[in-house]
Amino acid sequence: MARPVHPQAMTPSRAGRTRTAAPQAASGWYTQPRMLKYLLFDATGIVYLLVGFIALRVVWALGSGPEAWQELMRQLANPLYVAFHAVALVSVVFVAVRFFSLFPKAQPAHIGPVKPPPAPLIMAGLYAAWLGVTAVVTLILAGGLF
Amino acid sequence: MKHLLLKLEPLIWLLFGQGILIGTMLLTGWILVVGLGVPLGVVSADALSFERAHALAAHPLGRLFLLALLALPLWKGAHHVRSLSIDYGGLSRDAAVATGLYAIAAVGSLLAIVAVVRL
Repeated sequence: MARPVHPQAMTPSRAGRTRTAAPQAASGWYTQPRMLKYLLFDATGIVYLLVGFIALRVVWALGSGPEAWQELMRQLANPLYVAFHAVALVSVVFVAVRFFSLFPKAQPAHIGPVKPPPAPLIMAGLYAAWLGVTAVVTLILAGGLF
Repeated sequence: MKHLLLKLEPLIWLLFGQGILIGTMLLTGWILVVGLGVPLGVVSADALSFERAHALAAHPLGRLFLLALLALPLWKGAHHVRSLSIDYGGLSRDAAVATGLYAIAAVGSLLAIVAVVRL
């Protein structure tokens, strides 16, 4: 089985005769709109980590009994939690829209003899799945189903 | 540690990718109701009464849903924060940062398993 290649595997053992300046990022690179969107996409990782741990706390409280559950519900009504969840909702929508637009570009040219569907079809499928899952989850949690 | 991270990369990417895809799909409805709807009074608090919430969560499908909802976003978060760290801090401290972040996601995932089992 092939072993992973070390990241510096292709670095020459000795510096070449032609001296070159070390690569440097252009100053202010992070303010360019294209980079800003890319960095915002990465920054949603902080929100996902926090949302994941808050959800863990919610489920933990549910397993701890009615008193712990009531206390947690009371805490979730705190404006700080509500404001964070509003930011989280914006982040989740941003991630979905950006990821769905990138998804068709990340498809292989073909898997065996099968070619992937056209990009608009892939995106339509992803949006339909997202809206469908969101509608079902919302209805179940809000008491509209079951 | 760099070699171990490279070996684990397929697994990390699998969890990261599912964190974006499945995590995002599940989180939207969860945030709408648990994070905003009930706290703001838009959704009746009875919908998330202890009895109803526990009955939904303790169902095998409920447990599976919650496990995915709790664990997958942590891997998306850990990998993207690592990426952010590389963008701003370069690769020199990447091994330490990545190890710390994936450890947080792994511990969170283990706690998620415990949380859904003890329901």
